[in-house]
Amino acid sequence: MKLKDSLFTRRKFLNTLIGGWLTALGATIIQPVIKFIFPPYREPEEVILPAADYELPGPNSFKTFPWGSKPGILKRNDDGSLTAFVAVCTHLDCNVTYLPEQRKFYCACHDGWYDENGINIAGPPPRPLRRLDVIVEGEKIIIRRKGESA
Amino acid sequence: MPKQSFREWLETRLGWGQIVNFLQKKEVPRHKHTLWYYTGSAILIFLVIQIITGFMLLLYYKPTLEKAYQSVTQIMTEVSYGWVIRSLHHWSATLMIAFVFIHLLSLWILKAYRPPRELTWMSGVILLFLTLAFGFTGYLLPWDELSLAATKVGTEIPSTIPLIGRWVTQLLRGGADVTGDTLTRFFGLHVSILPLSLILVLGFHLYLIQKHGMSVPLREEKQNRPLPSYPFWPNFLLRESVFWLILLGSLITLSLFLPRGLGQPADLMAPAPVGVRPEWYFLFLFQTLKLFPATILGIPGDTIAILLVMVAVGLFFFLPLLDTDPAGRKGKVITWAAVAFIVYAVVMSLWSVL
Repeated sequence: MKLKDSLFTRRKFLNTLIGGWLTALGATIIQPVIKFIFPPYREPEEVILPAADYELPGPNSFKTFPWGSKPGILKRNDDGSLTAFVAVCTHLDCNVTYLPEQRKFYCACHDGWYDENGINIAGPPPRPLRRLDVIVEGEKIIIRRKGESA
Repeated sequence: MPKQSFREWLETRLGWGQIVNFLQKKEVPRHKHTLWYYTGSAILIFLVIQIITGFMLLLYYKPTLEKAYQSVTQIMTEVSYGWVIRSLHHWSATLMIAFVFIHLLSLWILKAYRPPRELTWMSGVILLFLTLAFGFTGYLLPWDELSLAATKVGTEIPSTIPLIGRWVTQLLRGGADVTGDTLTRFFGLHVSILPLSLILVLGFHLYLIQKHGMSVPLREEKQNRPLPSYPFWPNFLLRESVFWLILLGSLITLSLFLPRGLGQPADLMAPAPVGVRPEWYFLFLFQTLKLFPATILGIPGDTIAILLVMVAVGLFFFLPLLDTDPAGRKGKVITWAAVAFIVYAVVMSLWSVL
């Protein structure tokens, strides 16, 4: 049935109403389901390493540490300061290694290369390695996400 | 080649027009007991919710002695909406079992198992036991104090059956005692063996219901006049979906305001916690077992109790074959037996809680 000046029929109006309501109901059910399926993001805020285990005597020496579920690399620079990287290639998530003789990071998956500062120099990597902040506090080495040091 | 629509193309290949035709012509009898027809689809709704929330919990649950409790804690505290999904799984199970009981008891009293629906009833009884097995195996999975104690007792009960008892208990436990092996075994049952069995038996059950149509109560049938009916589509389905929405609302309300908790982690060496009790649907059996004396005429009381329960289950399964004269005196006695069972179960359950 359609009234003389109406834009749509009564059936169309009711169908839209019921359809819209069902869509809204469906959305309120789907939203938590999707939120549930994706696990909470679990990158650590900071990682504390005992300084005794990470002495790194000479320049250009390095050691790996666990950064959540990814490897990290802590490296002694020529000026004696420390730099930390997330040791994961920016290309396709492979773990990288540091080659001290060549002063380069190397990713074996697709032959990707980074210089000693983590800058991508050869192969497919699109971005430099991710850097982390390093703070030495007495017996502890605190490694934090970049820019979040208090 | 003549031009054909996509719908025709599919129809030639699938031949589903028959099903659509069937559903369009399906009629649901209309009488003062029509309401009980809704209980079956209520079970299906909760089953669908169980399957979906079960799949979701599977993404995070780890079925081992070391990780089970911890992974449930993770679901409850870290995963977005994790506590809601677990609570929904618990409450939907509870309501599903409640509706299975309502469904069976109402059909018992209405005598819906009369010929030619005997196999529909028997497959329904199998579905009841599969549902209870789901409840029993699922209860252990969070691996907290209560679930361990309940499983120790529950798997010990069959051991009092003469001859095969010990063997059944070992089969259930995967060893002499409830251990991490039992947990893994129950997990396999809960997520694989029981669901596959349920789907098969349920398919058979639903096929028979469609084949024979809805049963009409004896009193209506005797009146020898054509009964009024609803078309299934859309009249009956619309009424049913209103009922489904009420159920869904109740389920979500219960899950949010009475969320399922988690006890202390299970410790295989710790004494049983005080006040340990099975889930509500096993309470009447629990109380029955408690009442039996240690020995009767030299035979262990537990053995007599379990044999009586097995006889009762057998009678229940073969009910359609026993009730040969539904309209007569024997039929009346069987109807009253249903009422007596309800009174017994309610009184025993209340007794065990108070």
